[in-house]
Amino acid sequence: MTIPAIEITGLSKSFGSDHKKNQALTDLSIVIQPGEVFGFLGPNGAGKSTTIKLLLHFLKPDSGSLRILGHTVGQDEFRHRIGYLSEFPFFYDHLTARETLLLSGRLSGMTRQAIDQRLPMLLEHMSLTEAADRRVGGFSKGMKQRLGMANALVHDPEVLIFDEPMSGLDPVGRHQIKGLIAELKQEGKTIFFSSHILSDIETLCNRIGIIHKGVLLYSGGLRDFLVAGVGLEESFVRIIEEANRASFA
Amino acid sequence: MQALRNIWFLALSTCTEGIRHRTLWAVVCLASLLTMANLGVTTLYSWDLGKVSVEFGLSAVAFTGLLLIFFLGMKILADDLERSRIFMLLSRPVSTWQYLTGKFLGLAMILLLATIILGLSAALSMRYVLWLYAAFVPPNFSWLTCIMALACQWLSLVVVLALSVLCFSFAKQPFVALLLAVCSYLVGQNMELLRRVVVENPQAGALAGQEQLVIALSWIFPNLSLFDKKYEAAYGMAFSGQEFVLLCLYAISYSALLLYLATLLFRHKEIA
Repeated sequence: MTIPAIEITGLSKSFGSDHKKNQALTDLSIVIQPGEVFGFLGPNGAGKSTTIKLLLHFLKPDSGSLRILGHTVGQDEFRHRIGYLSEFPFFYDHLTARETLLLSGRLSGMTRQAIDQRLPMLLEHMSLTEAADRRVGGFSKGMKQRLGMANALVHDPEVLIFDEPMSGLDPVGRHQIKGLIAELKQEGKTIFFSSHILSDIETLCNRIGIIHKGVLLYSGGLRDFLVAGVGLEESFVRIIEEANRASFA
Repeated sequence: MQALRNIWFLALSTCTEGIRHRTLWAVVCLASLLTMANLGVTTLYSWDLGKVSVEFGLSAVAFTGLLLIFFLGMKILADDLERSRIFMLLSRPVSTWQYLTGKFLGLAMILLLATIILGLSAALSMRYVLWLYAAFVPPNFSWLTCIMALACQWLSLVVVLALSVLCFSFAKQPFVALLLAVCSYLVGQNMELLRRVVVENPQAGALAGQEQLVIALSWIFPNLSLFDKKYEAAYGMAFSGQEFVLLCLYAISYSALLLYLATLLFRHKEIA
């Protein structure tokens, strides 16, 4: 039996104290198999980023368990096998793109030689070759996003976790990142990415999860979710509205 | 081995980031001007010119170091959290203690560099004053003692830096961390004096009868006055190598303890 790439079981998380408790996630369970591209959908504030931060152990769960490649999050060391891109990638403004990638590679346990071999290809792929020796502080949003992507891929990880990878990008930038995710999919990487840009999810994902107010409304194949003759957007809006009606009733 | 490597890479990147930061150079320029002002300030006095020059030079270094810790060091640490840069680092196989130690060492390296630059600048101005007013050169004046005093100054800054890292590890707002660090510095600077006043004087005002409390506090806060060797340097007083080694050990062990506590506290912090 194959070990799931990502396995989330009964995950709950709340913020704040007893009187002002905000339940961010309730009993969330998701299984993602190796090689899958899983799109994590939900409106703003649904709990997508919280789930990702729990997966990376930036936050600690109230209950439930998280496993990546068979390793328990927060107990075993597996982070050299995952690549992460945050929604707003920030870097050290005064380091160059090359120095940033070098730092990330070294922290992931790569040798200087291995990084030197991989960097030109990665920079070329992200159209950053000419900007490689420029300080990151002067980069545009799109360049930072591409650098963030290079940063997530520098150590050639098996599992990729992207938080809103296309957020705030212009159409050209979005196209580039989309193309890259499609390539990674072909290479057999496991990709977990959150987004609320439904057209991107429709093109790239095998399976999707829909989360609303911290509750998972759907997890399964993209095709199974789409109602005959209705697009993803309409199906998505319908399931969210149904959930809203149910919560008011 | 990878742990040590991680610390080194983090320290190196923090140091590079700090060195290229405009704040560092603005503060260093200001301090160089301040040290050069030594020439003007010293001539305002009509006696002990050598002592004034040495004390003023070393004080300028200490003042600049504090500015660097509170405005550059704590900014770099706070930006890591506020601008989510920490995600880039902690999504890799880097543990909390490696992160904090790497940051601490990187900032300590910046302080060392600034101390060397400012020390040289202070030495130049001191050399000029001592040459101009040769009659006021303290007997037994030694440049070695001055260098040792400068090194003690740096050690004191390293302890204040460790205090700042500790405050950063548990404070929810960077401003609170800054405030706590400044207060701890002021307490550390005056703790020994307070302890002596209370212990040796039975009529110590509001603190009379609180000797045990003050002694306990003096064990908790760092004794920063120990590192102040300006007086010895200015008067050319003997400053033994053994005392210097003990001060080094004190600074290293106290900073290590603070970093350990910072790690314990930071582990409980949720990075949202």
